[in-house]
Amino acid sequence: MAEGRGRSRDRAPEGADGAAGQREAPGPGAGRADELGVLLARVARGDQAAYEAVYDRTADRVLGTVLAVVRDPAQSEEVAQEVLLDVWRSAARFDPNLGSAAAWVMTLAHRRAVDRVRSEQKAAERQIRVATSEIAYDEVTEAVEARLEQERVRRCLGSLTELQRESVTLAYYGGYTYREVAGLLGVAVGTVKTRMRDGLIRLRDCLGVDG
Amino acid sequence: MRPRPSDPHTLAGAYAMDAVAEPDRARFERHLAGCESCRQEIRGLREATAALGSAAAVQPPAAFREAVLRRAARTRQLPPAVTPAPVARADGRLGRSLLHGWRARLVVSLAGALAAVAVAGAVVGYRMQHNLDQVQQHDHAVAAVLSAPDATMLTAPVATGGTVTVVMSHRERALVFTAADLHLLPAAQSYEVWLIGPAGSRSAGMVPASSRGGMAGPMVISGLRAGDSVGLTVEPSGGSPHPTSPPVLMVSLAGQH
Repeated sequence: MAEGRGRSRDRAPEGADGAAGQREAPGPGAGRADELGVLLARVARGDQAAYEAVYDRTADRVLGTVLAVVRDPAQSEEVAQEVLLDVWRSAARFDPNLGSAAAWVMTLAHRRAVDRVRSEQKAAERQIRVATSEIAYDEVTEAVEARLEQERVRRCLGSLTELQRESVTLAYYGGYTYREVAGLLGVAVGTVKTRMRDGLIRLRDCLGVDG
Repeated sequence: MRPRPSDPHTLAGAYAMDAVAEPDRARFERHLAGCESCRQEIRGLREATAALGSAAAVQPPAAFREAVLRRAARTRQLPPAVTPAPVARADGRLGRSLLHGWRARLVVSLAGALAAVAVAGAVVGYRMQHNLDQVQQHDHAVAAVLSAPDATMLTAPVATGGTVTVVMSHRERALVFTAADLHLLPAAQSYEVWLIGPAGSRSAGMVPASSRGGMAGPMVISGLRAGDSVGLTVEPSGGSPHPTSPPVLMVSLAGQH
């Protein structure tokens, strides 16, 4: 587990880059989201200064997301590094018509983190762990909630029903499949599917973000 | 409208969180290919999941930044996704701006087939010019359907093996039919495509024997009417005026606008 680093609230970025210190979640701050998109367009043309700016605006959320899923700090840094390189490598593939730049980066990050844990754990071993509920979900959620820096997200998560919140938290931060989440929570697979969708819709509406 | 748990739509939430593993994932992505409202919904949900990720932000160690920037400086970047040349030449309307998502991907897969058709045409010596004209007309018809604003893609498995992909446009009253990895038939039999509507079945032509990595087509089928389904049957190789065997594939085109 990532004690220490996980709890770090030290906001001062090592580059003393003032703009990066004020990072916000993507969302209604459209100017902010656009700014990242504009930077990505410059990165697509090989602009390294723009890439540094993109790094300063995304590295902490990329690492945080990966860390939530992968848990092991050394492996998480490795995966986060791959994600940030992906951003450099495939910036030209970012299409602003398909969502915000922040969502594009975070989707890359989460997918890579999930790929890592799913390829690492042999399927059988994972199933046994799920079947025996060896992973206490409380541990997962607490570890994450301790790091929830954004009051808005915490408040919106709090507006979900308990089952919605558990389903969303286990899937997103825990990196579990919806079938695994159903096993962990001991509820029907169909129920988990609908709770995940309903929960995310409520979260999206509460946060005021939309594609 | 609230979807039922069995509705593929309900997977949108799990999918937006990468919580769908194979084979559910492949099945859902086939559904997504023909469901613009699902793709739209997932885009919105991904903005929400991105906020979840951002909320968990953790300051990376100092050496991390230098390592990433150094590796990036040594890494070659990918070019933007572009439409392959053979199709672009076939029809000027197929500009990149018209092609997003699955359409661009489908054009990539069709481009190979079109190029193969063009080469086949060129090989036939004395009939070359005639064939090329036909090929160009064919390419043009394919492009017209693919670039139609209401083009919709459907993919369905064939009962006896293989997959059929249909891109349809009610506006063009036409569809492009391709098949992959169909079960090989004896020489005396062929696959025949049908448009099946309330008034009965109309033959839409024989599926050409696949010669290129199991891919047959693209066939352009015109005369599409509201309420039609596409069917596929096994018939004697010359074709039949009406289906003589139960369909191995039946895809409803109703409501696919």
